[in-house]
Amino acid sequence: MIRFEQVTFAYPNRQDFRLTVDFFASGACTALLGENGSGKTTFGKLAAGILKPDTGRILYDGQDIAGLKLGEIGRQAGYLFQEPARQIFAARPLEEIAFPLELRGMAKPEAEQKARALCEEFELNDTLDQTTYTLSRGEKQRLALAAIMACEPRFLVLDEPTTGLDRRRRELLAATLRRLLARDLGLLVITHDRTFAESLGADPRFIKEGVLLDG
Amino acid sequence: MDSRKVKGREWCQRGRFALTPQCQGNRPPDTAPDTADTRPADTDSKRPDPRVIFALALFFSGFGVALRDVRFMAALLCLALLCAVLLRVRFKRLFGRFKRLWQVVLMVALLQSLFAPSGLVWLQLWNVPLLTSGGLEKGLLVLFRLALFITSAALFTPYPARALIQAMVQLRLPYEVAYMVSVGIRFIPQLGEELRDSLTALALRGIVIRELKLKQRVKLYSYLLLPVLAASLQNARELAMSLDMRAFRAHPKRTSYYTLTLNRWDWVLLCVILLLTLFAFFAWFAVKSW
Ligand SMILES: Nc1ncnc2c1ncn2[C@@H]1O[C@H](COP(=O)(O)OP(=O)(O)O)[C@@H](O)[C@H]1O
Ligand SMILES: [Mg+2]
Repeated sequence: MIRFEQVTFAYPNRQDFRLTVDFFASGACTALLGENGSGKTTFGKLAAGILKPDTGRILYDGQDIAGLKLGEIGRQAGYLFQEPARQIFAARPLEEIAFPLELRGMAKPEAEQKARALCEEFELNDTLDQTTYTLSRGEKQRLALAAIMACEPRFLVLDEPTTGLDRRRRELLAATLRRLLARDLGLLVITHDRTFAESLGADPRFIKEGVLLDG
Repeated sequence: MDSRKVKGREWCQRGRFALTPQCQGNRPPDTAPDTADTRPADTDSKRPDPRVIFALALFFSGFGVALRDVRFMAALLCLALLCAVLLRVRFKRLFGRFKRLWQVVLMVALLQSLFAPSGLVWLQLWNVPLLTSGGLEKGLLVLFRLALFITSAALFTPYPARALIQAMVQLRLPYEVAYMVSVGIRFIPQLGEELRDSLTALALRGIVIRELKLKQRVKLYSYLLLPVLAASLQNARELAMSLDMRAFRAHPKRTSYYTLTLNRWDWVLLCVILLLTLFAFFAWFAVKSW
């Protein structure tokens, strides 16, 4: 589980905004709700180790992540950016999933097999012949998720995953996420869509001006 | 009051509705947009007219290219730094951004004294001269020259993009050219942020760059091309659409509500720059023929 111990953080060029958080994920899925600019993305990036806290500690299952490199954190936590296009690197969906595995030393056929299985799971089979640039937003998002899941993280942070999805796509995404939850994955979902949070059975937490509200 | 927030909101309300990702994103843009002629940017500030800065930058970079003498270069650099201080250029940010570059420059200085030794040998190992007065002089020349270029470019940073574009237009540059320059400048911070996000996402896929072999690293960097290109294409398309919707170039000439005028102090400064140029020329020739 992710734990924040008396964490504070401010952007170097924005000293008037300060995040001050003590947080313990009580269930498998936590939803972080709040207005624009309340610090949700900042919180998520801290949780995924992208930003380093100024003071305090962030722990994964009791282990302080301060000393870990981003690549090492990535083997434990995944982060889905608000803009999925920013985390799609290869021209073909299968390659997108397989290339990090190969860079990490997996044999090519094995990586490809894994990529095929993930495409099946994330309903990307219709897109395999397309270039990734032309995929729809929902498809890009699923591809990014599949690529993250290839690294088998224990936690997943999703930044406003429902942006730009219609209701049916939202329900599909919720179903996918519930499936992941059933596999013992910890989720932190940033959203301002309360119904979406409820459909995941998430523990709702509210953030306002960089401070978590209780209850 | 959070001025950046207000700027961003104002921008969205002014009709560039959701055409740029920044409007939906977390972070208001660094530079305000420059097409709207409604906001007289920085008209009442005490800074000189941007055209004076153009002249000044031309002066510094022109002599920066021409000069070969360390002492002159140092003097010029001091003058440029003085100007930067007077204009309240934010050095901290500048130096932070160019930290790596300074290291490279220092390397060049050392290599110059290693491989182009001349003058007195100050330090040598066995018979290889490590530091010579001539080499150090050449190294310092390169260092000062680069610093001079960076400083003279930095002289523009306190000005809003709107003022610079207007200066270019009033210097009779075609509006399209001036606009293209400003668009290019405006997208630099955004592209930087996108690239940072992409690099982060790549690292979070469990790739530790230091563990990779050189060949793999090259491959890794080639993968970064796609998100960057995709973002640039997307930006270009959205910008083109918003330009069309505002009837950009529908008429051959544009008028502008916001115009720049040179006041008395600006003219004085221009004269000073001209005199300095002449003086520097004469000094240069005098030293040469001496
Ligand atoms: N990279 C950054 N640099 C400086 N300030 C930032 C940066 N990203 C966000 N901020 C500021 O931090 C505050 C919180 O932003 P954010 O965490 O993105 O909010 P949210 O995701 O809830 O909309 C905002 O005031 C925003 O302007
Ligand atoms: Mg956000």
